Amino acid sequence: MRTIAKISPLLLCVFFAMRLYGQPITVTDVVGREVTIPQPAKRVILGEGRQLITLSLLVPDPVAITAGWTGDFAKSGGLLYDDYRKHFPGLDDIPLIGTSGKETVSTEQIISLNPDLAIFGAGSHGPDAKSADIIRQLEAAGIPIVFIDFRLHPFKNTVPSMELLGKVLGREARAKAFVEFYNRRMNHIRGTLAKQPDLKRPKVYMEMIRGTAPPGSPGKGNLGEYIEFVGGNNIGTILPGEVGTLNMEYVIGEQPDVYVATGIAKPGEAGMVIGQNVYTFQTQESLAKLAARPVVSPLNAIKENKVYAMWHLFYDSPLNIAAVEALAKWTHPELFGKLKPHGVLKEINERFLAVPLKGVYFAELKP
Amino acid sequence: MYPSTAVIEKGYRKQFLKRIILLAGLAVATVLSFLVDIAVGPSTLDFAGVLQAIFSPESVDLSVRVIVWEVRMPYAVMALLVGAALSLAGCEMQTIMNNAMASPFTLGISAAASFGAALAIVIGFSIPGIGGDWMIVVNAFLFAFGATLLLQALSSLRGAGPEGLVLFGIALVFLFNAFTGIMQYLASAEALQQFIFWSLGSLTKANWDNIPLLFGLFAVIAPFSLASAWKLTALRLGEESARSFGVAVKRLRFLSLIRISLLTAGATAFVGTIGFIGLVGPHIAKLLIGEDHRFSLPASILSGALIMSLASVISKAILSGTIVPVGIVTSLIGVPVFVALILNKRKR
Repeated sequence: MRTIAKISPLLLCVFFAMRLYGQPITVTDVVGREVTIPQPAKRVILGEGRQLITLSLLVPDPVAITAGWTGDFAKSGGLLYDDYRKHFPGLDDIPLIGTSGKETVSTEQIISLNPDLAIFGAGSHGPDAKSADIIRQLEAAGIPIVFIDFRLHPFKNTVPSMELLGKVLGREARAKAFVEFYNRRMNHIRGTLAKQPDLKRPKVYMEMIRGTAPPGSPGKGNLGEYIEFVGGNNIGTILPGEVGTLNMEYVIGEQPDVYVATGIAKPGEAGMVIGQNVYTFQTQESLAKLAARPVVSPLNAIKENKVYAMWHLFYDSPLNIAAVEALAKWTHPELFGKLKPHGVLKEINERFLAVPLKGVYFAELKP
Repeated sequence: MYPSTAVIEKGYRKQFLKRIILLAGLAVATVLSFLVDIAVGPSTLDFAGVLQAIFSPESVDLSVRVIVWEVRMPYAVMALLVGAALSLAGCEMQTIMNNAMASPFTLGISAAASFGAALAIVIGFSIPGIGGDWMIVVNAFLFAFGATLLLQALSSLRGAGPEGLVLFGIALVFLFNAFTGIMQYLASAEALQQFIFWSLGSLTKANWDNIPLLFGLFAVIAPFSLASAWKLTALRLGEESARSFGVAVKRLRFLSLIRISLLTAGATAFVGTIGFIGLVGPHIAKLLIGEDHRFSLPASILSGALIMSLASVISKAILSGTIVPVGIVTSLIGVPVFVALILNKRKR
């Protein structure tokens, strides 16, 4: 009895301390799985390395909490990746769990890194919601997995994904601030378009420029959804899949009003040169070359110089808000002419990002 | 009693005439397919408009001119060239290997070209001085040619003969596929997509810069092939008989291999890997016209061009407005024709 009396205040303290700090976190991820982790994650696995940018919206040092990742950010990130390395020298020491594709991922490596959470994209280049074997093995090893998504359904899942990350990383306030910022901007576009009952939807032809290969165009998913969301008419919707090649003859017949190129090339590489630390003249040069191809010369968009470019990786990122504003501005200048996509990035830099985005992320071809 | 020379001569002349007619028929079919190819497309442009754009480009508006000159014509012309080059290469290869299964694919030449392209796409490696758009082309070409020289060196090492050549070729297929696999493993998602697209084979890469190059290559090589027709026919009768006719078999094989590699490398470099044409083109030609290379070589050229041209038409038509990579379609249309011909031959 006396012992109990002695230790009961201690037990009480422990109890309250546990309530305060040790409360398990339960979340429902974007594919509807309920996941519980004992405390905010401190060692996470990134199924797609480029989601480090997403983490850096919420966490001042995302590299410190990344226990393992795939190598895709190094390969696709261009000069932005170099800036991350400069900012976080520890970046080079993050162990790889695979190179880029989901087939290259080693579950054994993930387990041996002893992470407390794996963050995968619902549909991604890395392991995703269809990677049944990896999911089963990690769950058997007691490693919780949460699925986020900016790619399959960007307009439905970006906000829940950010809220989810806020919870599992213990950065709820920050996530809430980002979501508020994001919703405010998205609602402006939604609201403005909703007030236009007989909106004319300009035809948009988008090319994803990949090196020297003939470009692909978005079909019904992802970037195609962006175009439709901002009140444009994506001429690629005839494609059977998410991405495909349009017959240029069809494109000429459609006479698109707006031309948009996306790319990730660094200066000196083949493709659409745009992104971190790229100079305006380099993007202009690259875009002018695309617009000067004989095969696009009959397009109204080219004749009227409605020729634009954006960084491709917005398609799989909560930074998609900037791309949405750019596309809105280009498609409906009469409604959204005042939007400043680079200004959005500036605000995101100042308020959220650990490594600021600098350079050219959007461009309009100068006549 | 033997038939008199007059009878033999008559029979020969009859056969000769029949083959000429068959060749002419193939040529007509190819021309028709080409005309269909430039006449159809997702826009409303009709054949008269196409002809007008071809013969007086200044009189039509910009859209029509671009559709005809930058879209329909380059694809259609490239289809003919690639089909002709790959099929001619396949025909020569089947003869010098004495193997009906031989094609530029079987011997690793296409695999080598793919690896060269992957090197350019994934790690941007090429020979110094070559940059940007030409890296893939130059790499594909050099690796295909290099693979042929390696093949030749390996097989002459121990006088391995045609069987040895086929086996070495198969080894090269696996070797280069493994190398390409490593490249794919290292590739970023974007580079991987680019490579997959390249490797599916697509006529959308055709333009007026690369068409003259492939045409030039073909125009230089084909006469040498045709000039070797007699020797190749002799070789078809067996190595011993060829030697007894005075054919320098080793030299014939080497020169033929060089021609094959140049044709395959050229075609693959510009449009990516397109399977089956190199195998099925020559078979269709031989089933129709026999083994006399004076006829089977030109027939292979025509049948390859014809199949490829038909494939081009279909690749545009499957989903109007989109392009299905033609490499996928060649097999889809080549296989039924091939099977029908084999079955038909059996019946007779």
